[in-house]
Amino acid sequence: MIRKKTWFPIVYMFCLTAFFSAIVIGFTQATGERVEANEKLAFEKAVLAALPGLYEENLSRMELHKRFTESVRPPDDSSGTAYTLRQNGQIVAYALPVSGQGFWAPIKGVIGIKADKKTVTGIAFYQQNETPGLGAEIAKAAFTEQFRGKIIAVNSQPINIKRPGDALGDSDVHAVTGATQTSTRLENIINTGLKEWLSQTTIKSSEELL
Amino acid sequence: MKPPQSKKSGLLIEGLWNNNPVFKQVLGICSTLAVTNLVLNTLVMCVALIFTLSLSSFTVSVLRQFTPRNIRMMIETLIIAFYVIIVDVLLKAYWPEMSSNLGPYVGLIITNCIVMGRCEAYGNSNPPAKAFMDGFFNALGYTFILLIIATFREILGMGTFLGLAVPYFSGPHWDKWIIMVMPPGAFFMLAVVIWIFRSIQAVREDKKK
Repeated sequence: MIRKKTWFPIVYMFCLTAFFSAIVIGFTQATGERVEANEKLAFEKAVLAALPGLYEENLSRMELHKRFTESVRPPDDSSGTAYTLRQNGQIVAYALPVSGQGFWAPIKGVIGIKADKKTVTGIAFYQQNETPGLGAEIAKAAFTEQFRGKIIAVNSQPINIKRPGDALGDSDVHAVTGATQTSTRLENIINTGLKEWLSQTTIKSSEELL
Repeated sequence: MKPPQSKKSGLLIEGLWNNNPVFKQVLGICSTLAVTNLVLNTLVMCVALIFTLSLSSFTVSVLRQFTPRNIRMMIETLIIAFYVIIVDVLLKAYWPEMSSNLGPYVGLIITNCIVMGRCEAYGNSNPPAKAFMDGFFNALGYTFILLIIATFREILGMGTFLGLAVPYFSGPHWDKWIIMVMPPGAFFMLAVVIWIFRSIQAVREDKKK
């Protein structure tokens, strides 16, 4: 009987693997574009949410993408790594992508900053894998809404994430209860990103003056 | 462990109660602990497991006449991985938020002992239709225990159920038990659930005698 042959298991395994792999590869190929589009869209949504007056709930995927391509300009020399929102050629706000290590996995987000480079217009996260119910709350409105209108301080700590219940200054927001690790790391991500970008762009603008 | 009964209703009782994968066999504990802090995440995870477990068991059973015994575990792993990847890709494409919520746990269904366990213990030696039902009911047994744990964890820890505020628990008079949604809470809840269900089982068996 064929099953007793010594080569049978090898051939059998080979054929089955080829068969299942073919289906999986076909399947991944078929949905690959959509997966990629999802990732891009998540980023575009975050940029819109961080900038003032662009984001609305319940926008469809197409509308989101359209709004992004129409109103947001990709980074150029004057804005460093930040995307820009312009009105009549004048920069109204910047959208600065920041990223770094969270408690479990990298956190990626976008900070919206007014043209004065001092006022925060909003913050949004498009990739995070923090503990659901705890660290993951950073992506919810209750946390992100706090950032609107905060002033970027001109010291080593542009934005402070303080313990829930502490008194807040112009540059402070409250952390998520029970998510100390995520909050500390997030504070670091935001501040490193902001400081780097500020020093980059101010050097550039002073060069322009010369 | 009792020998599997032949009737379909027997499979139901075996999977959900007598031989429940979580509180009787204590399998699949990794995901039980990991995904039960929000009910919605748990629900999606369980649907993924129902799909994977019933179809893997079915496929293993279809191929059981041809599969050489010495490589059967490789074949089983291959089949399980195949279904899990399908679920993972589907979630990534059509429900990206959920995919990122569940993180690596969908992929880790491949190593869920319940799946391999059912393929080995039942799929390998029974006809396809029965293997499918056995997988399905075992996955249901897993699902209902996980939902109990998740419901308690979410209500006690967050004051919500499926993201909706629950009266009293979300209110000012209830101090949320944050620990319930953190990893230690899972251990406490799982222990309590196993304790309660095993006690009920013991009482029922005593009565039979």
